Amino acid sequence: MFNKTKKFMLAFITLTILNVSTAMEHHHTNCITTEIVINDPWVRLSPPNAPALGFFMKINNNTDHDIKLLSVNASGYKRIELHRTVAQGDMMKMVKQEFMPIPTKGKLHLKPGSWHIMLIGPKSVLRKGDTVVIDLVFDNGLTKTVHAQVRKGKEMTGNYHRMMH
Amino acid sequence: MSNQHIFSLMNNKLLSGIGVVALIIATFYFISPNKNYKDLAKQLKVSYLLHNPDKELPFFSLVDHNNNKFDNNNFKGKWTLLSFIYTHCPDVCPTGLMNMSILKSTLIKRDINIVPNLVTITFDPVRDTPSVLKTYVTYFDKDFLGVSGEQIQINQLIKPFGAYYERVVYAKNGKPAVLKNDEPLPKGVLEFGYLINHTAWIYLLNPDGQIFAGFPPPHNPIKMADDIELLIKNY
Repeated sequence: MFNKTKKFMLAFITLTILNVSTAMEHHHTNCITTEIVINDPWVRLSPPNAPALGFFMKINNNTDHDIKLLSVNASGYKRIELHRTVAQGDMMKMVKQEFMPIPTKGKLHLKPGSWHIMLIGPKSVLRKGDTVVIDLVFDNGLTKTVHAQVRKGKEMTGNYHRMMH
Repeated sequence: MSNQHIFSLMNNKLLSGIGVVALIIATFYFISPNKNYKDLAKQLKVSYLLHNPDKELPFFSLVDHNNNKFDNNNFKGKWTLLSFIYTHCPDVCPTGLMNMSILKSTLIKRDINIVPNLVTITFDPVRDTPSVLKTYVTYFDKDFLGVSGEQIQINQLIKPFGAYYERVVYAKNGKPAVLKNDEPLPKGVLEFGYLINHTAWIYLLNPDGQIFAGFPPPHNPIKMADDIELLIKNY
């Protein structure tokens, strides 16, 4: 009798573990095989009266074709723009972009001193650790929603792209 | 008589010889401080020596974020770390201000006597009033002093630093238009907003209120601290 219960328990536990691990694996594969994967989305912690906030992330394109990030939507902002900081001689230029290109099987790293999204005219003040829900619209018809964390940037590693003319 | 004549000739030659030697010594004496700085300049990692002992910063008069007058005297008696910013800048300026704050903390840990004042002057006084600047810059470091004032004064002041800027207005069709610095802002521009392309160097001013060294971006506060320590301790 005791033995039977033990066996039953063991079977139950084994099944549960198996079930959880396959579920986890399923979730895991979901992340990897998704066409577009967004890593580390974050909004720079800024002064309470900052007129514009920087939003950064890594965009991975796992598809067989080049894609474009066309627009970014989030509630609570006057306007949202795509930008790139470009060094032209000594001048740091803020160049508004129509889109952001992400090459096939490649990635685009949005970071300070480089590609970034401008969240203009925030209607409320963001605090450290807050989450901002942001929709990304791509040219292949796909929309992704990301939850960006508000945090301080690692400011020491700004590398500026040089514009050749 | 002739002997005397020869003697006086020799004397003249001797005198002129001494004169030449004195001139050479004097020349070396005046050049040597620069020569020392040249050796120092070679050791700098991320900055350029911009010091010209004969060049004073032209007179300027601005307003700090506490509505106090800010002029040449505010750069005197202490080392100053200075940058030029505008608060509508989402990328370059916050990065620069954060780096200046990290730099200050780094220097405090090394030697309290080599910590400069932190000052930042806006390119954009129309939008960056003293009160706007106060909230904005003290967020990065409580010791920051933001400076605003008349646009003409700022345009004059930035020249000897080699700093410059241009306003960019995006039209409804998305095309950017560059405004000249002295050009008045078109109607509606303040409402829709404009960007400013600008240089992003950080400058070190000596206690005589002269431009001493410059740090081009990208900024590495640790390496900057090394240079500042070297410059201040050898001043």
